[in-house]
Amino acid sequence: MRINCPHCGTRPVEEFTFNGDASVQRPASNDPKTMDQWFDYVYLRDNPKGRFDEYVHHSSGCRAWLVVTRDTQTHEVFGVVTARDHAKKRVKA
Amino acid sequence: MSDQFTRISPLADIAFQGRFGADHAAPGVTLSVQHPAAIVAVIARKGKAKALAEALQNWRGVRAQWAGAEQYFVLDKPFDEVRKKLDGLASCSDQSHGRAIIRIEGPKVRHVLCKGTPVDLHESEFEIDRSALTQMAHVGVHLTRIGRDAFELSVFRGFSESFWEWLTEQSEEFGYQVI
Ligand SMILES: [Zn+2]
Repeated sequence: MRINCPHCGTRPVEEFTFNGDASVQRPASNDPKTMDQWFDYVYLRDNPKGRFDEYVHHSSGCRAWLVVTRDTQTHEVFGVVTARDHAKKRVKA
Repeated sequence: MSDQFTRISPLADIAFQGRFGADHAAPGVTLSVQHPAAIVAVIARKGKAKALAEALQNWRGVRAQWAGAEQYFVLDKPFDEVRKKLDGLASCSDQSHGRAIIRIEGPKVRHVLCKGTPVDLHESEFEIDRSALTQMAHVGVHLTRIGRDAFELSVFRGFSESFWEWLTEQSEEFGYQVI
């Protein structure tokens, strides 16, 4: 599996560290009434078969946080963006 | 402050000068430890990436090597001078003590390096002055092409000894010299 880092170009998967689901969103409130949302955010994850957005750290390269969209079944990579751009897009949406 | 201390190369006890490995007519690669070296890690402040890139480009007599998104290694200038020059544009930290730089050059340089990194270093692909961050023998390496067949490899000081052993081992089949 090869990942096209926006900063470094195409590199082998050994250079990257995977850090899980990039679709979860931190709850905006600290109110104890939102505990259920926090529990979801911290602990509960889907385990999808197919297309998946995932945080990936280019740990042995430029050390940038990325979001890789890949197929969990075939490992086909559909796209790579920086985590910064991913977050910005999410704010706009 | 740092003038009060003598900086000792982490490779002082291991990188001996001489001719080693296979005995071909000319050595395949030549290795040299760049010590002492002034190395400053520079990271752009928020929104200042473009201004920083321009300031580095226009600064004569300094080598600024790409070292990740909006980050550089600035070489050959003392820390205080770099910090003053880039005030407001970047956060700077002195890495002169923290990294070791090994220069490797010669006709077999790509044969040696390609045993360690997946980065395409062919001269038509990887132009002079370009840098890459990669891994060789499990060690994080910042590499820069500094000439036609010449590269500089910068590694964390603590890894430099085992990295040196790996690098010289890979060079043995081509014959190498240390200067
Ligand atoms: Zn990268």
